[in-house]
Amino acid sequence: MSNLLNSLKIELRRGTLTLAVLSQLRTPQYGYSLVQSLEGAGISIDQSTLYPLLRRLEKQELVSSSWDTSESRPRKYYVLSEFGLEIFSELKKEWINNSKELYSLLGEGDDDENEFN
Amino acid sequence: MTMRTNLIEVYIQEVTRRLPEKMRSDIALELRSTIEDMLPNHHTVEDVKDVLNQLGNPAILANGYKDQPMHLIGPRYFDVYMSLLKMIVPIAAVVSLITIITKYFIGFSGEEALLNSILSLIGEGIWTLIQVGIQVFFWLTITFALLERFDKDKEQLPLTSGLEKWTAEDLKNVAYISKKKTISKLEIFGSLMWTAIWVTLYFYANQIIGVYEGDGGPLEFVMPALNQDVLQQYGLIVLIIAGLEIAFALYKLLKEQWTKRMAIGNTLLEVISTIVFIIILIKPNFLSEEFVVYITNLFTITKEQFNVWLIGGTIIILIITAAASIYDGFKKANIR
Repeated sequence: MSNLLNSLKIELRRGTLTLAVLSQLRTPQYGYSLVQSLEGAGISIDQSTLYPLLRRLEKQELVSSSWDTSESRPRKYYVLSEFGLEIFSELKKEWINNSKELYSLLGEGDDDENEFN
Repeated sequence: MTMRTNLIEVYIQEVTRRLPEKMRSDIALELRSTIEDMLPNHHTVEDVKDVLNQLGNPAILANGYKDQPMHLIGPRYFDVYMSLLKMIVPIAAVVSLITIITKYFIGFSGEEALLNSILSLIGEGIWTLIQVGIQVFFWLTITFALLERFDKDKEQLPLTSGLEKWTAEDLKNVAYISKKKTISKLEIFGSLMWTAIWVTLYFYANQIIGVYEGDGGPLEFVMPALNQDVLQQYGLIVLIIAGLEIAFALYKLLKEQWTKRMAIGNTLLEVISTIVFIIILIKPNFLSEEFVVYITNLFTITKEQFNVWLIGGTIIILIITAAASIYDGFKKANIR
């Protein structure tokens, strides 16, 4: 039961992960700073998923990357490309619309319950 | 310090050794800086372990970077794979069985005990079926595993057996099959088996068809009934007919049910093969001379009577079975 619930929860979150990451990359971030800002917003992300995801986004040309070697520790920074910004705003719209629809759908269910009680 | 560094380096190595050469250095560099970011300023071995635990199994991390499937055949190809497997395994099994049985007939000298021969035939048959099954399974799986890896179209929708995305149009190709017009696998197996048997009998008639004699002992082949030279003259056209029969059987296996077109094809095949066999049968020296003499002595009938009786009878049987098969085909094709 709890196993099933967990896997369903993971499934629910999976699609939102890309959106969450894209939202944070409007300003340049390196791997760990991205983890921290996501966690700061209450979104915990499996790190073994996040780093490959960043590479994939780069391959899809949604983000661009650059090495900053000016400090003692070299860091790879990622930031949204112009194309990535476009995609991000589309996805954002989509997500907001979906949430609204789902919210009203879930609200209906609550009404039914109330009627029966 | 070395211990801690070592753990990190080993972890990075465990990730990068699973990656393509050109990705390694960049990912190693990024991983190292990320791990150091995650560690507190003054860290212990436990801290390092903690961080590496957060990053998780290096194999999974590496696989994420590779962006390649961790399965042989994914949902995209699984359906096509299964239906091909189900189609090819029985065909391969039948063809190999026919080969074995043909070989057995050719090699059968009549000297060994029949029971022993049958037992060894069954044994060899089962062994060959297992081998063929493994071979088909292996090569088909390899093919699809490669397809899975080299397919650049990352769309995850399952494919139909035409390797295209499914549309409602595909339903036109899948006719609703009523039970009465379906062609069973057994029927196809039977017809392939029959082809194998008659082809063997035809080409080895001088060793199989004839007079056997045995005085209480094992049967001995005394004389052939047919003139192999005559049969050999028509060898090519008979082989073509056999090929057509096999092709037709495989076509039936694919279509799974009788159709008008199939009934017409069946008619053509029956008519052609009947005509060819009648032509062969009415050749004057179709029966071997010694056989005719032997029979006329045995039953005290004239040569002409025997000819008419045997050849005529065979022709009538041929025509009747062909007509029955043609009728049956159209009857089944017309069932709604």
